[in-house]
Amino acid sequence: MADVVMTLEMVQASQVGMKAIGAGLAVGLTGLGTGVAEMGIGSAAVGAVAENKDIFGLALLFTVIPETIVIFGLVVALLLLF
Amino acid sequence: MLAPKPMSRLLIVASRDQAVPIVSELYRENLFHIEDFVDQGQEGYEGFKIGTPLEGATEASTELVKVRAIENVFAIHGEDVDAKQKLSLPQIRSQIEKDLPGIEKEVEGLAGVRSKLDAKTKEYEQKIQELAPFVEIPVDLTLLRGFRFFSVFAGYVNRDVSITVPHEMQVVKGKERSFALVVVPEKNRAEVERQLQEAQFQAVTIPEETGTAQARTVYYTEQIVSVNKEIDAINEKLAKIKETHTDLLVACEEAFRAKIEQTEAPLRFATTSKVFVAEGWMPADRTQELSAALDKVTGGKVFVSELPVDPVNDPVPVEFNNPSFAKPTQMLMDIYSRPKYTEVDPTLMLAIVFPIFFGMILGDVGYGLLLLIMCLALRTVFKGDDGRQFITVLRNASISTIIFGLLFNEFLGFKFSQVVGWILGIGHVVNPIEHYESLIYSRHLLIGATEAGGHGPAIAELMIVSIWIGILHITLGRALGMINHARQDHGEHRMKCVLANFGWITVMWGIIIAIWSMFAMPLMPDLRGLPVVVSGLSLGLIVAIVFIVMGVIFIARDSPLEIVELPTIISHVLSYARLMAVGLSSVAIAMVVNYLSIGMFIGPGLENLSIVGIVMIIVGAVIFLLGHALNLALGILGGGLHSIRLHYVEFFTKFYKGGGRKYIPFGMKRRFTED
Repeated sequence: MADVVMTLEMVQASQVGMKAIGAGLAVGLTGLGTGVAEMGIGSAAVGAVAENKDIFGLALLFTVIPETIVIFGLVVALLLLF
Repeated sequence: MLAPKPMSRLLIVASRDQAVPIVSELYRENLFHIEDFVDQGQEGYEGFKIGTPLEGATEASTELVKVRAIENVFAIHGEDVDAKQKLSLPQIRSQIEKDLPGIEKEVEGLAGVRSKLDAKTKEYEQKIQELAPFVEIPVDLTLLRGFRFFSVFAGYVNRDVSITVPHEMQVVKGKERSFALVVVPEKNRAEVERQLQEAQFQAVTIPEETGTAQARTVYYTEQIVSVNKEIDAINEKLAKIKETHTDLLVACEEAFRAKIEQTEAPLRFATTSKVFVAEGWMPADRTQELSAALDKVTGGKVFVSELPVDPVNDPVPVEFNNPSFAKPTQMLMDIYSRPKYTEVDPTLMLAIVFPIFFGMILGDVGYGLLLLIMCLALRTVFKGDDGRQFITVLRNASISTIIFGLLFNEFLGFKFSQVVGWILGIGHVVNPIEHYESLIYSRHLLIGATEAGGHGPAIAELMIVSIWIGILHITLGRALGMINHARQDHGEHRMKCVLANFGWITVMWGIIIAIWSMFAMPLMPDLRGLPVVVSGLSLGLIVAIVFIVMGVIFIARDSPLEIVELPTIISHVLSYARLMAVGLSSVAIAMVVNYLSIGMFIGPGLENLSIVGIVMIIVGAVIFLLGHALNLALGILGGGLHSIRLHYVEFFTKFYKGGGRKYIPFGMKRRFTED
């Protein structure tokens, strides 16, 4: 088996690729996390709003709280890429 | 500004024979928020009872029910109707007496006939359905019943049937099951029934008709067509009535509603056999005006007095007090909660900051223009107050989007300066802004061939700007929290709460100073160069530690449990990074759409203008339109939701409690009638 020789360009290229994978994971996994978190809150919020329309604002507030997670993921991804 | 309208508490006492003029005057002024009297033996109200409705309440409600019934037939809703002319009360009264009974009768008659005809169509459709299985059998239906020595079975079977006794059978094959018609001698009936049962026979009743099923179906279909024609004629008549009488109907509804609300007002007053007492709230600056008006209509036979107000404990109703440009934003406040009477009213800040956030996120001249056109078009569609306010908020946001679009130099994902160049290039005019990049940091990503050259987006700078906005916004929120607690709390608790809010500010700034002392960041002060004071700690770090420790002590003195919340300082500030992140994602989508449509379809299509080329251009155009429509929808949703969320979650939670009572004055904004 021949030794695999890594040139500098190859190392750099694979670093860029790793960064891209990391960025993708950051957005994708945080997106999943947000989705899971919002799933329960969202259904409960819709139920509550159906009972009492006045609490729409509060329900919306609760629903969007986990959104911060995916924003963090997006920020991390952007910082990784640029 | 920044506080609700000052309110006074008013007590109106008069003898019962003055009730009618007083109630109608209060109703006309539309100022007095009645505090409902509840008969629970409050202090000072011994011997008082809930009043009885004034004369004419029952008649008015009967009439209102009738008018609403007619409106229901026509599906008229008052709020959807544009007020053309205001009818005066005498005019309405004469029209009600003259026209309304006639209209009622005509409409009721027509609606009755229509529902009868509807029932008829239903009946015919039912019959056609019953006949459907027999359509394939060319036998007169009278021949299938009334035998003495034969039994007729009709129904569906799932598989082939074999009957062992002498019989005659006709089978119509269907997709899933077959329809079978079997005639057998009466004496074999029981046996055949059993055999049919084995084939999972489902009996169908033989219709009581004369003639073949085919012919009868055709007959009933014709009948339905003719009945539908009659229904159409009636609908046309109703539409004509609707057209001529809509104005009168909505005016009548308004007049009757006003009448009912007035006649039922005494139900909310405290009364004895001789006098009535009305208690309520109204804007403090108009009390003189109202009491003078009441004096005038009663000839001085009324006692109006202002009661002392305890702003913290009294349930003072809250009316917004904002400059007119901030009024539409009150809708966004009401979605969250109306401020308490003693609270800082943040509507004005919301009115200024919300469009800025929206613009920062969407920031695109093209999308801004599209949104502005959409708002102007929708203004005519939305007739209700809430809808109009919403549209106005969106319009302000779209103007801000255009401004930020110019600053960012963006137009549907292209550079705005480039687009101007293309348009001017048609007329061979020199583009004056050819070399304009962007006034603030660029958000142009390096996607596709449409973005040749360029230095890419200034992500780090944009993020720091967003975070700066977050730091300032949250500091402002905490400062307002100090003001609110200083206003609402008393005694020892008050100082603790104010200091706790101050503690949150110092902890936040302490953390920031600590970061500055350790890392260098663009657009932020670099404190690494400060002299080391003691045991390796620089001056910056020492200040940071003092700030943080002091803040934590202040917070813990108010409520030790709050210490758990300390990480939210960082997460809330970082949350403002969405101003950059959400915006960048919408830029990215726009650029990808441009690259897909122009770079991959339209560009190559134009180079090679064959049939394939034209198809490619069309596909590219479709991608362009659909992609940007989708991105605009996402942008409105994202821009709106995220900006409002930054207010609701990150800003309001620092100082705003809400839960104030709405100020609902007794009266009505008359749209179709006038006194």
